[in-house]
Amino acid sequence: MLFYYMDIGWRSLRRTPLVSILMVCAIAIGIGITMTSLSVYHMMSMDPIPAKSDRLFAVQLNTMDDNTDWWSDDNMPFQLTFKDAMHLHKLKLNDRDENIDIRKTAMLVAQFAVHMNNDEMAPFLAMTRIAGREFFPMFEREFVYGSSWSQEQENNAEAVIVINQELNERLFGGSNSVGKEIYLDDTPFRIVGVMQQWDIHTKFYDVNNGPFDSPEPIFMPITLVEPNQIDTAGNTNGWKYGDINSWEDFLQSENFWLQFWVELDNKQETQRFEDYLLAYLTEEATKGRFEREVPSFSVRDVNNWLDYRGVVSEDNKVLVGLSFLFLAVCLANILGLLLGKFLRRAPEVGVRRALGASKRQVFLQHLVEVSILGLLGGSLGIAIAQLGLWGVRTTSGNYQALATMDLGMLLAAPAIAIVSCIIAGLYPAWLVCKTQPAIYLKTQ
Amino acid sequence: MLSMKNISKVYQTEKVQTHALRDFNLEVAEGEFIAVTGPSGSGKTTFLNIAGMLEPHTGGQYMLDGIDVGKLSDNQTADLRNQKIGFIFQGFNLIPDLNLFENIEVPLRYAGIKSAERKRRIVECLEKVGLASRAKHLPQQLSGGQQQRVAIARALAGKPRFLLADEPTGNLDSLMARQVMELLESINEEGATIIMVTHDAELARRAPRNIQVVDGQLADFTLYQNKTIEAVANATAMEV
Repeated sequence: MLFYYMDIGWRSLRRTPLVSILMVCAIAIGIGITMTSLSVYHMMSMDPIPAKSDRLFAVQLNTMDDNTDWWSDDNMPFQLTFKDAMHLHKLKLNDRDENIDIRKTAMLVAQFAVHMNNDEMAPFLAMTRIAGREFFPMFEREFVYGSSWSQEQENNAEAVIVINQELNERLFGGSNSVGKEIYLDDTPFRIVGVMQQWDIHTKFYDVNNGPFDSPEPIFMPITLVEPNQIDTAGNTNGWKYGDINSWEDFLQSENFWLQFWVELDNKQETQRFEDYLLAYLTEEATKGRFEREVPSFSVRDVNNWLDYRGVVSEDNKVLVGLSFLFLAVCLANILGLLLGKFLRRAPEVGVRRALGASKRQVFLQHLVEVSILGLLGGSLGIAIAQLGLWGVRTTSGNYQALATMDLGMLLAAPAIAIVSCIIAGLYPAWLVCKTQPAIYLKTQ
Repeated sequence: MLSMKNISKVYQTEKVQTHALRDFNLEVAEGEFIAVTGPSGSGKTTFLNIAGMLEPHTGGQYMLDGIDVGKLSDNQTADLRNQKIGFIFQGFNLIPDLNLFENIEVPLRYAGIKSAERKRRIVECLEKVGLASRAKHLPQQLSGGQQQRVAIARALAGKPRFLLADEPTGNLDSLMARQVMELLESINEEGATIIMVTHDAELARRAPRNIQVVDGQLADFTLYQNKTIEAVANATAMEV
């Protein structure tokens, strides 16, 4: 009977083309606007690294005195000081068990003027991620050419870098640039790897400076920070007053902040790492660095971290809510149009009832008709949503990867449209199916 | 086949209670052809609607083929209507945007009959009413008489044992009315039970059994002659 209902529904829509077009347009506009905001929200809130988001953890240590205020909800700094981060970065946790090794990396971002030390290309500014070599396997980065720097190069703080595919295209026309040099400010760096393009929608590993910015095009070893006196482009606010008269003072201060990520594959590793953090904090407190009654730290996986940091703001949620309200207004209009359309058809329904259709069959027939309406509106709504997302992309450079519809959203659009239309059609369909057929049979 | 005992039908509005049928008793045997006459507003159509299960009765008992209709659910009622009853209406009630083939197909669809069997029955019914060559035409492309023949074909397609006709010739000229009546008679001869509401005395006389409905009650023709002649005469005079 489904195909029969679809045939009846399609004929019915064609019988009243103006009303049908009005209803399709109403649902399309509602779906278009809803899907625009929902797609952005979906991309913002979706798991950025689903294969291992439950194994990558952002680490926080509370190395402040009790009753000291920070601007986080739980009064805990979002990042680690340079000395804490580097201590953990160099930590060997596999002393007791050679089979267990833990990937981890401290990281920060800095900005450099990039040039080729010639007159052919003007220098330009580029953000650079400064991290450990384990950043690449931790965050599943693949290479087009070469690889990441070696442990030895990292230990020796060699001037080596990894660039991304886009920068390699810009500087070297996409050819293999491994072994070639580029200048960051006044220092030449040798390229050891060209990383595959990273089209990530949320820069989850560093949400401090634009969580939806593109990943940095250049990566260099974290061990270069100290000898090269590389200052962070990030936060340098501290909780504690202290004399800072030299680079060494700054590195040891409570003002130089880094992100720290660790990959923990199971509960045992997590427990072991947390035990170490507790011991470390206790030891630091014993040294008199801060006064805390209870050592406090946090280890959050990727999705908890994004949630904790409020990457998807309340504004986004409100926007999605408002767009659904708009859809509801569209549906209210559709409901009115459907009421008029269906009740005008009551005489035909009377005939169908007289010829053997049950109320249930009449009800289903009308719901199939509104489903067709939803499918048409949903399809047109996708086109409107694409237009809306294009508008978002062109007005905000940071939303390039966010303002798109993935396959899930493309499938969700007609599904939401169909469900919405069914909801709008329930009352008119119920009303028309419960009318007494006898009333209309005599008066037709 | 059809048995109505003390059937009543009351239409209730906020202030007014209207008794459309009261203590209505009727027995119809298999294969009968009954003409139902009576003044306008006497309850003929209400009786036909209740007989066709298009509206529920308020009181009494209606048995169709031994089934107590009053105890059926909507789905069961729809199935029973689909399987046993064919309707012919004064206004034809063909669905305007379906062609003749599709119009006749409607009850067969609801009966769940397979495509090949549907087609066979539709062609057979269209041939029976002499419109086989017009299967792809829309109702509005036919004359009134032809439309009524299509409606009869539609009523017959489901092979009902029971045909209910509500003034089937009311919108037709006398020639077409006769043709439709002849068609109904031939259908009756093939075994279908027919109850036909009509205002046409000539057509009513052609039916083997006549019943009168007056003020929502049944007046059998013999009773009409012997007991209620005065009342019926008055009612008929009012109608004229």
